[in-house]
Amino acid sequence: MSSLSSLLLPAVLFFALGVIARVIKSDLRFPPDLAKVLSIYLLMAIGLHGGYALAKADMMIAMNSILWALVLGFTLPVIGYLILLATRKVSPLDAAAISAHYGSVSAGTFLTAIAYLDNIGVPHETYPLIMLAVMESPAIIVGLLLAAKARQLIAAQEANSPSGGAVTMGDDDGNGEHNHSSFGALLRDAFTNGSVVILIGSMIIGAISMPSGMAKLFPFIDDIFTGVLCLFLFEMGMVAAKRIGDFRQVGWVLALFGIVMPLIGGVIGAYVGHSILGFSVGGATLVAVLGASASYIAVPPAMRLAVPEANPSFYLTLSLGITFPFNVVVGIPLYHSLVQAMAA
Amino acid sequence: MVTLYPVKLINIITNDSMEERLVAMFKKYGVSGYTILRVGGEGSSGLQSEMTGFDSNILVKVILPPERMEPILESLERKLRKGYHLTVYIVDVQVITPGKFVKPLR
Repeated sequence: MSSLSSLLLPAVLFFALGVIARVIKSDLRFPPDLAKVLSIYLLMAIGLHGGYALAKADMMIAMNSILWALVLGFTLPVIGYLILLATRKVSPLDAAAISAHYGSVSAGTFLTAIAYLDNIGVPHETYPLIMLAVMESPAIIVGLLLAAKARQLIAAQEANSPSGGAVTMGDDDGNGEHNHSSFGALLRDAFTNGSVVILIGSMIIGAISMPSGMAKLFPFIDDIFTGVLCLFLFEMGMVAAKRIGDFRQVGWVLALFGIVMPLIGGVIGAYVGHSILGFSVGGATLVAVLGASASYIAVPPAMRLAVPEANPSFYLTLSLGITFPFNVVVGIPLYHSLVQAMAA
Repeated sequence: MVTLYPVKLINIITNDSMEERLVAMFKKYGVSGYTILRVGGEGSSGLQSEMTGFDSNILVKVILPPERMEPILESLERKLRKGYHLTVYIVDVQVITPGKFVKPLR
C-alpha cells in the first residue's frame, strides 16, 4: 500500500535518474570524491541528530540495542555463508568475503529509509542509529573467521586430491613487514573505520553539546539534509548502474542471492526490532533495513586485505549493483509493510 | 653533455587499500622515495570505477638502483602468491641524479 510512495520519494527518483544517466550513456560525471564528501556530511548530520536525541534516551534500551546489533552482525554472515556454500557456485573464500558484506550495513540505505519514514509521517526511535554504528564492524570479524574456515576446507580438499597444488598459506613477508596486517590490526581497522569514527564522534558531540549550540546547527543538519541525500543517491545510482553491467559475470544464482539475502536479513531484523526490542513500526522498520542492507564502504577494503583470494567484483557487484538498488526501491517499503503486518 | 645513469622503475597497480602495506614494505627495504597516483581501470579483479573511493586503484612508482630491487620483487611475489591482486612491471629508466635514489626513507 505504501510502496508507491517510496518510489516517488525525490531521493529515490534521483537514484533512478543516476541509473538512467548511465544507461543512456550521458557524459554526466560527478567530481571525484563528491560522494565521499556527501557521505561525510550525511553521517555527521545523522550522528549529531541521533546523539542529541539519545542524550534523553533510556540507557537500558540503548544497551539492549547494541547487544542485538552485535548478534545481527555476527549471525547474518554465517547464514549468508551457508547459503552461498549450498549454491556451490562460488569458492568458500568468495562465500566468506561476500557474506561479510551482508552482516555489515549500508548507511545510504538506512538514510533513505529514514527519509521514507519521515515522508510518510511515521515516527521512529533513535536507537537503530547506534545499531548502525555498531553493525559496521562485527561482520568483518566474522568474515575473517569464515575465511580461515574456508582455507581449512580448501586445504583439506587439496590434500585429498593427489594433484594437490601448492598451497602457499601463511608465511607472511617473513620478518614482521606484515606486522600491521595481523588479525588485531584488521580489528583495529574495522573499529577505527572512517564512517564509524564520524558517526560515533558526531553522536557524542550531539549528546554533550549545549542545546543552544545545537539549535544553531539545526539548519545545517536538518534543512539541507534531504537535498544532500538526493545528491548522494544520484551518484549512487550511477555507481550502481555501472556495476549492473557485471551482472552477467556474476551469474544469476549469485544475483538471486543479492535479493534473497536482504529479504532474510530484513525478516530477521524486523523480528528483532519489533518482537525483541519492542520498537515502534518506524524503529523496527529501520532495524529490518539494517539487517537487510549490505556494506559497500567498510567491508570491501577489509576483505581485499584479509581475503585477497576472493574476487572483489563478486562482492562489489552484489552489494552495490544488486542489493543496494533492491533495498532502496523495493526493500524499504516491503520491510515497512512487513513490520506493519507484525504489529497488527 | 649531461651524463645519464641507468636505474630501475618499479610500477605497481593495485587497490588503494594496499597502500599502507606497500609503503611499509618500501621503507623496510630502504627505498629513497615513491610516488602514488589514483587511477581507474578494469581487469582481473573487475571494474575500478574510481567514482566513490571504495573501488579505486593506485599506481605506485618507485625508482631505485638495480641492486636494491631483489628483496622488493621477492616481497611482491610473496604477496601475489597469497592472492593479492597486483600488476607489477619494471622499466629501465635513466636519471641525471643517481644519488637521489640511494638514501633510504626513514
